[in-house]
Amino acid sequence: MRKKGINYAKYGYYFSIPFVLAYLIFSLYPTIYTVIIGFTDLRGLGRTTFTFLDDPFENFKLILANDTFKKSVVNTAVIWIMNFIPQILLALLLTAWFTNRRFKVKGQGIFKVLIYMPNIITAATIAILFNSLFGYPKGPVNDLLMTLGILDAPANFHMQEWTSKGVVAFIQFWMWYGNSMIVLIAGVLGISPTLFEAAEVDGATPTQIFFKITLPRLKTILLYVLITSMVGGLQMYDIPKLYLWGGPDNATLTANVFIHNQAFSGSYLYNRAAAASMLMFLIIVVLSIAMFYLMRDRGEQKLRRQERARVRALKREASV
Amino acid sequence: MKSLKTSTNITKTIIYVVCIFLSILSIFPFWLMFVNATRSTYQIQQNSVALFPSTFLLNNWKILNGKSFNAAVGFMNSMLVSSGATLCAVYFSSLTAYALVAYTWKLRQPFFSFILAIMMIPAQVSGIGFYQMMYRIGWTNSLWPLILPSIAAPAMVFFMRQYLMATLSLDIVNSARIDGAGEFYTFNRIILPIMKPAMATQAIFTFVLNWNNLFIPMIILTRREKYTMPIMVSLLRGDIYKTEYGSVYLGLALTVLPLFVVYFLLSKYIIAGVALGALKE
Amino acid sequence: MKRNMRIIVSMLLIVCMSLSLFAAGQTEAAKAPARKVINLWSFTDEVPKMLEKYKALNPDFDYEINTTIIATTDGAYQPALDQALASGGNDAPDIYCAESAFVLKYTQGDAAHFAAPYKSLGIDVDKKLKEADIAPYTVDIGSNSKGELVGLGYQATGGAFIYRRSIAKDVWGTDDPAVIKTKVGPGWEKFFQAAEDLRKKNYAIISGDGDIWHAIEGSSPKGWIVDGKLFVDKTREDFLDIAKTMVDKGYHNDTRDWTDAWFADMKDAGVKKVFGFFGPAWLINYVMAGNSGGTKPGEGTYGDWAVCEPPVGFFWGGTWVIANNNSPVKDAVGKIIEWITLDSSNTGLQYFWANGTLNGPGGTKDTVASGTVMKKSDGTLAFLGGQDMFDVFVPAGAFATGKNKTQYDETINIYWRDQVRSYSAGNKGRAAALADFKKQVADNLAISAH
Repeated sequence: MRKKGINYAKYGYYFSIPFVLAYLIFSLYPTIYTVIIGFTDLRGLGRTTFTFLDDPFENFKLILANDTFKKSVVNTAVIWIMNFIPQILLALLLTAWFTNRRFKVKGQGIFKVLIYMPNIITAATIAILFNSLFGYPKGPVNDLLMTLGILDAPANFHMQEWTSKGVVAFIQFWMWYGNSMIVLIAGVLGISPTLFEAAEVDGATPTQIFFKITLPRLKTILLYVLITSMVGGLQMYDIPKLYLWGGPDNATLTANVFIHNQAFSGSYLYNRAAAASMLMFLIIVVLSIAMFYLMRDRGEQKLRRQERARVRALKREASV
Repeated sequence: MKSLKTSTNITKTIIYVVCIFLSILSIFPFWLMFVNATRSTYQIQQNSVALFPSTFLLNNWKILNGKSFNAAVGFMNSMLVSSGATLCAVYFSSLTAYALVAYTWKLRQPFFSFILAIMMIPAQVSGIGFYQMMYRIGWTNSLWPLILPSIAAPAMVFFMRQYLMATLSLDIVNSARIDGAGEFYTFNRIILPIMKPAMATQAIFTFVLNWNNLFIPMIILTRREKYTMPIMVSLLRGDIYKTEYGSVYLGLALTVLPLFVVYFLLSKYIIAGVALGALKE
Repeated sequence: MKRNMRIIVSMLLIVCMSLSLFAAGQTEAAKAPARKVINLWSFTDEVPKMLEKYKALNPDFDYEINTTIIATTDGAYQPALDQALASGGNDAPDIYCAESAFVLKYTQGDAAHFAAPYKSLGIDVDKKLKEADIAPYTVDIGSNSKGELVGLGYQATGGAFIYRRSIAKDVWGTDDPAVIKTKVGPGWEKFFQAAEDLRKKNYAIISGDGDIWHAIEGSSPKGWIVDGKLFVDKTREDFLDIAKTMVDKGYHNDTRDWTDAWFADMKDAGVKKVFGFFGPAWLINYVMAGNSGGTKPGEGTYGDWAVCEPPVGFFWGGTWVIANNNSPVKDAVGKIIEWITLDSSNTGLQYFWANGTLNGPGGTKDTVASGTVMKKSDGTLAFLGGQDMFDVFVPAGAFATGKNKTQYDETINIYWRDQVRSYSAGNKGRAAALADFKKQVADNLAISAH
């Protein structure tokens, strides 16, 4: 550091090059392609030529007027909320338990491993498994409920709208709470142990430690968990598709299943699928911005503070 | 003090009960899968859920081998794709995140917003463009299109950035600079070790995701010698009336086993924790 | 800022260079000399195994077969095949298979322009068709809009009614197919009478509504699309009422096809004993035999079955073989396709297939498309109590029609059966079910109703 006022900004650019390059090569074209065909008449298999529509927003208007699309968006939101709230609460609770030094949960290594496990089986396997579990007129769940005397006759679960939504939400919850938990624990591991030690010496209860020390410092990671599970949840596709193909009567039809059906289920409406994708993209962006705003990032401010500190340090250095 | 201890003990009991319950719930599908791997197709068709193993394991293994299922080849290809993609994703995402946190540059905020935005694009339609391009540039039957795109993994960059913001103190960077370390050297030797827990978690997720990925490889890889494990399992399903369920489950079970190994290897970083205490108060 | 520009420029350069490299690689590949490789795309190993046999029978056939198998169950077969057909080049399929659920897309629909007329492969189509006496519905489906034959199958999947001998004796005092066919048909009214007779003795006539759907679909004079618009044929609309009556009167066990409960009904493990199933020969071979709970007469329901004519004619399933119009090896492809689909000699594929001798003796017997082959083959099955199933299945192939199919059937059937189920379960009214069905088709496929 002999040079005065060296400019490190260029490294920001250098270190971003691999990402940008990979993105340009592999994803830019597909993305632009998606955006463009939303404004064209491209439908039908294997066609590569298309013309722009006279009314560029025709596809968007058609999609917005499409009742099935509206229903799919509502379903997506409902199913997401049904799985997301319990998921994040349980993940936080487990994180609090596993990282609290007073509890010293024995065998927590094994628990952490087991709890994450549902995430490693493919969605297809899980969906098919649950489909048979809730089978009618005979299936394990029906058998169990009848043995326990809760039901007199087998229930046709696959025909019940809310049971189906509930099962999809449960699968989603169950496959992902372990994932969220692990991310949160990794975040807690990044917090300095001396902070916890100090709190314990001061006689803080586990609850106090969690809310006063862990949670505030977990905020940046929590934001990540919130945003990614929202993005993932709103793009929910394979579980509802494979569990009951979006049925019964569209009860589990999510937005991405709808988009897939537009593009691939027979009419190859690529243009409308692209338009619907962009609408979903807009919804997700708006919600994400809202979430960023709600969680108004202290980390951001912190970063700014650190920068100021660094500038000061540089100045100090320069004056030496 | 005594009451605190009792309440701690009560809480601990609750913790164990909940954790054991959740663990059983987690083991359940794996148990069913391994049990079904020992049952015949027709037994599975009659009752797809069973708690006790049957005697058809060897038979299912024979069917598996009789079909175009080549576990060794599938394992190699899956391993190449998954570890390649994981290495690319973890290393370059950390690098990009470091660029976003450690340096002040004009396009930093726009670039971050851009990364978030591309994470939010639904993949259903852009897939069409991707296949089209891969077929046009002749990259079918190559593992590269399954590995290299991982260099740009927006969700992971986002995570690494959040993690670094919470844990990285720029003082270390500055002291490294004072010691005369180059920026790239600092990143590789000082920053990466700090990020171990974050890298381990993300490595697990990426590895699992790529290992189980079926749809993209299925469209890009059309030659047997390039098939990954999930493609081979899906071949066993073939046609609705000729599905060999027993061997499908055996194939699924074989596919899952390597994931256990990887997970156990990496989980020590998220279980034991890496002492970061000195880094940031 | 200057430095940034330099970075951006160099990045762009790298992108351009790498792209041009790929492009160069591609043009070279396109100029490759005449090859001795045939690319085969299929969704099971059935056709690939046939080609192995063909090579064994014809040692001087020196083409290498390059097989790509992608399962239909994961929904990737069609997208992958479409990409490969559209992109062309050395990896493009020369021969590809299509299942009845989506074959029309490749013979008459959106992908029909890829299909080569059999005549252009050097096959004497008219003569061979007559000689082999091919089931007419397979020809209907395999002909493009100009009337040229572009695809044929090897199986015939005309359907029959497969029923339990012991139950027939209990209810009507006989298990003779000639009598039973007059009890369950012709027409749905007689079928309902039979259902009532069976119900009195606490039997279900079928397992679930999925069983009759294929028969109803196959017997309707018009398909789902007429003049580009959705058309609900009277025959198909009646399915609403038939399904509802079945549920209300308890004529079936209310199972869904391809679920545990449905399979269980094949060996008397359901709520009521089930009298019969609708299906082609493959249902007997690949599904019922294995699920009967036995492997020889006397065990489970094995041997207690017989086949008779169904109340209405239909077909269900089947594989069509198509050649790529852009294939550089059309002659070789033509030889293979002719052997699979039109060769009615004792060394043609269909003779082996019908008698279960493709991979040595003792294999599964199946009905094939060629009537000529059927006549000289033996379809006696122990599973059917020694009945020769070909006696029923050969005429069944003639009742079936391929003119009521469209490329949208797979999707529209899902929507239709979903709504029928909602109605028969009592979740909604009949008019609402019909209206919702039309809305589904319009919203998802952009096909409006008549």
